[in-house]
This record gives sequence, C-alpha cells and structure tokens, in this order.
Amino acid sequence: MAKARAIIKRRKAVQNIKKITRTMELIATARFRKALDRATQAEAYTRKIAEIVADLRGTSSTVAHPLLEERDPVRRAAMLVLTSNRGLAGAYNGSVLRLATREYDELQEAGTPTTLEVSGKRGIAFLRFRRIPIDASYTQFEDRPQFEEVEVLANRFIGQFLRGEIDKLQVVYTKFLSSSRQVPVTETLLPMTVSQVGEDTSRHPARGAGASSRGRVPYEFLPDPESILEEIVPTSFKIRLFKCFLDAAVSEQIMRMIAMRGATENANEMVKSLTRQYNRARQSQITRELSEIIGGAAALE
Amino acid sequence: MSTTAALIEPEEPFDTPPGSPVKKEHHGVRCVVVTPEATVLDEPSEFVALPLYDGELGVLPGRSPLIGRLGYGELRIRAGATTRRFFVDGGFAQVRDDVVTVLTARAIPAEAIDADAARAELSAAKARRATSELELNEKGRAEARARALLRVSGQATVDAGH
Repeated sequence: MAKARAIIKRRKAVQNIKKITRTMELIATARFRKALDRATQAEAYTRKIAEIVADLRGTSSTVAHPLLEERDPVRRAAMLVLTSNRGLAGAYNGSVLRLATREYDELQEAGTPTTLEVSGKRGIAFLRFRRIPIDASYTQFEDRPQFEEVEVLANRFIGQFLRGEIDKLQVVYTKFLSSSRQVPVTETLLPMTVSQVGEDTSRHPARGAGASSRGRVPYEFLPDPESILEEIVPTSFKIRLFKCFLDAAVSEQIMRMIAMRGATENANEMVKSLTRQYNRARQSQITRELSEIIGGAAALE
Repeated sequence: MSTTAALIEPEEPFDTPPGSPVKKEHHGVRCVVVTPEATVLDEPSEFVALPLYDGELGVLPGRSPLIGRLGYGELRIRAGATTRRFFVDGGFAQVRDDVVTVLTARAIPAEAIDADAARAELSAAKARRATSELELNEKGRAEARARALLRVSGQATVDAGH
C-alpha cells in the first residue's frame, strides 16, 4: 500500500496549493477591479488638461519651457523601473526587468552615467542579484499609488532636470493596453515633447477631441495663454508619471490574476491524473494480493 | 445677466456656435473639482469663488468663458444657505457654459486641514536655505502654500479677541 499512500499524500498537497492559488486569483481580481476603477477615475483630469491645451493651442503657437528642452548630448540619464513588491504575478516582473537591464546596458555601453531608481521589492532583489548598483529604491507603492507620493518623486525629477543633474528621464513599466494585453515599455518622460503635453492619454479619448472640430469658445485667459501653458507643462509631466504608476498597478493585478487562474487549472488537472494513478495502483495491488492468496491456496492442495 | 455670451445646452457644448441667439435660463453654476486621482466634487451651486494666482475671482451664472491659473487658496462654493470651503493646491480653472471646472493636485475641505501641520510646514519652509534662484522660487512657493493653508484653516493667528 506504500505507493498508493504516497500518491494520496501528493494529491492532498496539490489540493491545498489549489486552494491557495484560487484564493489569490480572487483577491487579485478584486484588486484589479479597484485599480482599474482608480485608473479610470484618474482619466478625468488627463482629459480636462488635454482639453485646455487644445483650447490654448489656438491662441499661441510656440511653447517654450525648460522641461521641453531637448538636450544633446545626453550626459546623465535617470531611469525609473516600476516592479511589484510581491511575486507570483506571472511574467510581470521578469519582462519589465529584462527590458530595464537591456536599456541600462545600452546606456552603459554608450558611456552615459545613469542613476537607477527602482520601485518594488522584486526589482530591488533582482538588481542586487545582478550586482547592478541602485541609487534609490521605493517600496511604498502598492496597488494603490497615491498622487501625493508620486508628486514628491516628480518634483524631485523636475528639480534634477532643471539643475542639469539629469538630461533625460526614462521610465520602464508595464503599460496596460487592455485586459488581455499588457506590454513592458520604456517611455522618455523628460524632456517632454510639445505633443506629449496636450496628449490625451486616457484609453477612451473624448469624441471629437480635435480642436478643429469644435467651435472656438472665446476664452478669457488669466493671466495669459503662454503663462498658463508654462504652468501646464510640469503638471502634465506629473500626471504622466502618475499614470505610469497606475498602469503598472493595474497590470500587476491582472497578470497575477491570469497567472493564478492558470495555476488553479493546472492543479485541477494534476489532481485528476493523480487520482487516476492512485486508482490504478490500488487496483493492481488488489489483483496482486488476490493472485497471491489463490497461489497460496493452490500450493496447499 | 442678459449677456450675449454663448448660452447653450451643456450637453452639446460644441455644436452651437458661440454667440448664438439661443438663450437659456441660468439656474446656477455647476462646480466640478477634479484631482489627478478622482473627481472629488460635482454639484450645483449659486456662486463659486476661485483662488486665482493673483487674487480671488467670483463666478456667477452667465460668466463669460475663462481659463485661469489658480494659486494656493480658498475655493468657496455657495449653494443656498450653505457655503463649502476647500483648500486648493494650485492648478487651473475653466469656466464655460455655467460649469466651473477646477483642476488641482489637491482639494482639502477646510475643516479637514491640520493647522498644526501647516504651521510646521511654514516654519520648515522659512528655515529652508535658498542660494540659487531656483531654490528661492521653490522656497517662496512652499511658504505661500503653507500660509494659504493656514489662512483657509481659519486658525492663522492666535485669537486676539478674547
């Protein structure tokens, strides 16, 4: 009976794991819903800013702002990598970190000194293992990134850029395209481009968002269009950075959900095949015992 | 209130050209406060006072379209006998078709402001060392913000009347 019992033990273990993965899937689903709600709510702001920029564009053609200034050559760069604090999220951390290390190596080869900043325990552990020096690390961003926390980061980046300590800021994160598609991307957030400032980054841009399609509203500008645009540029940068964090949070949850669903399904299959194995083992044991008894009885005659 | 400004249905703000003769009764101003995290407030009112960068601006129904930069200060929304007060942390305001949209990083109800924290912030801002022009600007901003926060909290000074 030894083999059969071992199989039963294994089946029990698999069933326990299945329970865990199933629970994790449910939790991830709930978190995903919440994170997506937050991301959708946040889009109202982005859309409104884009609208104002579109309205402003009709009045002034040139925008000059230090944050828009393209610097060549890039002497110092900064890279921000967004990973998760927890694992078991499928390829989520792996693919972001693969992209990040590739980009980092490229910058190193080009001889550009790069400050590397990482958010998430997974990324920190990975880079430490690879012996890549990290300049700053954050673990406070969970599935609900707060704008206040992101703003602190954004202000620091703006300061560094204006002081010339960095000439470029790249963010490596997982972009949430749809619930079936999340891709790791590198985005250059600083310097910004003029089109980025007024870009409607929400997933459902307002219909007829083009300024040309609407009748022009005769706005009064206080103080004047240029200075409003100047003020919008840093705001726009902040919300872009915030959106990166929101996207990363949503992607993490949905990827964990999918990974855990897969794990639960696999566990189901495994339980099935283990049950079959156990039944076979039991049956063959009975057959063997029977034949032994029959054999013994025959020998006595 | 008999302005010739574009008085059009807010549902279809762009289909009617501005200055069209279509007139509408003014029933008040809708005030929408949007922060990067969510839409904090969306409700009708009679009067809205916006803290612009250089002073306060009142908006009554029928105000002509406007885009303005906000400073640090108090946003007041009056509806009937009640007035709601918020601290607004810079940003922008757009007025169109009797809708006031306030875009700001933070909108804190006046009752929820922690005056002690604001006081600490002010003294920290005052104590900050500023050597370059950039730092000086930053320091000025931080000070102005903390002062406005204190002012809105209504506990700016020690009550002298007692």
